[in-house]
Amino acid sequence: MRVVNMYAEVDPEKCTGCRVCEKVCPTISIKVVGEKKEKLAVVDLNTCVGCGACVERCQFEAVVLKTLDESRIISVNPHSVDEEKVSELCIKARLHPEQIICYCTGTRAEEVAAAILMGASSPEEISRMTGVRTGCKVECIQPILRLLKAAGIEPKPIEGGWQWYGITPTIWDIPEDVIKKYSARGFYFEEDRALFKKLLDTVKAGGE
Amino acid sequence: MITRNIKFNQPVKPLPPKPSRYGPDPEYIKTRGCDLENIVSVNVRELFPDIPENIYPSEKGIKAVRDATVAALEKVDMSMIKPGDSVNVLGSHHGFTILGGEPYAEMLKTIKDVIMEKTGTENIRLRVGVGLRFRESDEYIKRFGLDEYFNKRAIGVAPIDEGIPIETEIGTLYGIKRCYDADWIVHAHNSDVREIHFHRHVDRAVKPFGMSYARIETRSTYHQNLGPRGANFVARAIFNSEFVQKKWTFATFLKPTPAGIASVDADNDLFALDERLSIDNFRYYGKILTLLSHIDECIAVLDFQAPIPYVFSAGMIFANFSAASIDVFDLDYPLPGYTWYTEAFYGEGDRPLIPDIPPVNPAIKAMVINYAWGGYPSVFWAKMIPTIVVGEWQAEVFRRDPQNVEFMKHAVVADDLPTAIEFAMKIADTDKIIIFDGAPGAINVSESLAEELVEKAPDVDREVEQKLLPKWCRQRGIKLEGYAGAEAH
Ligand code: SF4
Ligand code: SF4
Repeated sequence: MRVVNMYAEVDPEKCTGCRVCEKVCPTISIKVVGEKKEKLAVVDLNTCVGCGACVERCQFEAVVLKTLDESRIISVNPHSVDEEKVSELCIKARLHPEQIICYCTGTRAEEVAAAILMGASSPEEISRMTGVRTGCKVECIQPILRLLKAAGIEPKPIEGGWQWYGITPTIWDIPEDVIKKYSARGFYFEEDRALFKKLLDTVKAGGE
Repeated sequence: MITRNIKFNQPVKPLPPKPSRYGPDPEYIKTRGCDLENIVSVNVRELFPDIPENIYPSEKGIKAVRDATVAALEKVDMSMIKPGDSVNVLGSHHGFTILGGEPYAEMLKTIKDVIMEKTGTENIRLRVGVGLRFRESDEYIKRFGLDEYFNKRAIGVAPIDEGIPIETEIGTLYGIKRCYDADWIVHAHNSDVREIHFHRHVDRAVKPFGMSYARIETRSTYHQNLGPRGANFVARAIFNSEFVQKKWTFATFLKPTPAGIASVDADNDLFALDERLSIDNFRYYGKILTLLSHIDECIAVLDFQAPIPYVFSAGMIFANFSAASIDVFDLDYPLPGYTWYTEAFYGEGDRPLIPDIPPVNPAIKAMVINYAWGGYPSVFWAKMIPTIVVGEWQAEVFRRDPQNVEFMKHAVVADDLPTAIEFAMKIADTDKIIIFDGAPGAINVSESLAEELVEKAPDVDREVEQKLLPKWCRQRGIKLEGYAGAEAH
């Protein structure tokens, strides 16, 4: 769930049409239109969630965040889809359904799983539906990709975009020799695996 | 009972508020925590006399940092860098939050000068990474004239900038392309313990390779995929990769203690440097944090130009204090009272999903935010600790922050600091106050808390030296025996 209370506004006098904002927008809500000297970034206010990525990366200070007259909420109710399927998907991604996966919006794994079950097939669509990945824009990409993978979906990064590049390893993928090699150096992978296992064991439904 | 003859000092004035796009206008910050009645200061060296002498602040001024950097770099091999080669000096925003940022800026400038002198190359760039405030480093680059110093080749880089895949022994991770767009890289960091709750002081010196210099994919791996004690392995995996090792030259670290800057250390061997700084940090920061974790009850006043977790007191950041319901250095504890894995494991209605979750430091009975930035997801603290925000200007910082849209749902606003404190005392039922204002070399606290700290410090000193320090080293495979001490480096 994300309360949207801001939106991006472009200053046409300052915008050079460099397209950086396009490459970083997590909801694909800003696009450069026009040719040569006429190039200008345009915001789609229907999907912009006011995350500020464009504002922060525009080197020409051409975008600002403005307060919406009326804030709106974007969310997916995890209880509006088959709860067992939500749980199964989360467990397959080795996430507890109630586990928070976006620390800015407080989004839980179950909400993202529900969005996927409702048809979302990319991180961008999931962000538009739930608001996840629109706070810090940094920390929650992997659980989203893990949940998509668990649903059998392998999304492609946006061509030329910098939104995200790919899925990365989890603690379950670390080779045994690596675990052995570094356990005496303070990397407690075995023990952390046991912690995650304990967490997942508390989920009644589902299972791999 | 006061066991040492310490006369409490006047509170130490913190640095004035700094203008930033992430914080309130400094104009609004009229009253500081240290201006409150009954606030005194306790010098950290009086609590723990073995903390090494400062090179900065000292009567030598900022030149001491330059001299220490030059001396540290004398023992470093730079012969791999040839005239005309490109070199990226990699920095992080953290360094600029220490003592106003000047010592770190001076170290960066000196590194450039020494590389030029020793290698003959002039193509030296500065790339400064960030946390979750993507323009913070740009602000520091401007403030300290680093762009001019690096001949218009200094930039701030962010984790959403163009990336580059890096093959590691655990699979593909991603770095920020502009950190690595040179023939050689120099790792220019500081040894401040900072986020122990995240890195658990395992490979502290390596961390920026998995964070400041890394893309979102890597940072998300750190905070979501690898677990609370293995997280920092992404940094080691990237650092050990062929891609990074081909560009690797040396590291230079500013070495603060809770009292100031103690030295500068440099090495071609990053892991050797890590071992040295780990022992020093366990000894000095370890004692301060252990002491703070022994506080029974208090009101925390946040009053510094940084987001909530990063406001300082005696060199410790608030996040660590809030995590200190367990010993965060001790790897036998899986989860500190605060870390993102801990936050993740609270289910609906803030119900812990497993019993192993320690609470946020229960000694913090209330949190008063007099001055702090946005730009870090902080709702968790407002939910866990009764929170009073001073002034609409400060509340507005959170309301307008995409990372804290719901923060003010869990906090109340007071018109001014004295009113906020009066209210906090009522709900907290304590007169003990600790101020996180970054005051150099001292802790600003209420007299009642000063007495408690002074009383407890000698026992903590013994506990750390005899029991905890050896344990912390043993857990990480670090040899304590034969270590010559901070001054030797
Ligand atoms: S990043 Fe800024 S200058 Fe570039 S296209 Fe977007 S708004 Fe225009
Ligand atoms: S980057 Fe964020 S603020 Fe900018 S257009 Fe996209 S959603 Fe809106």
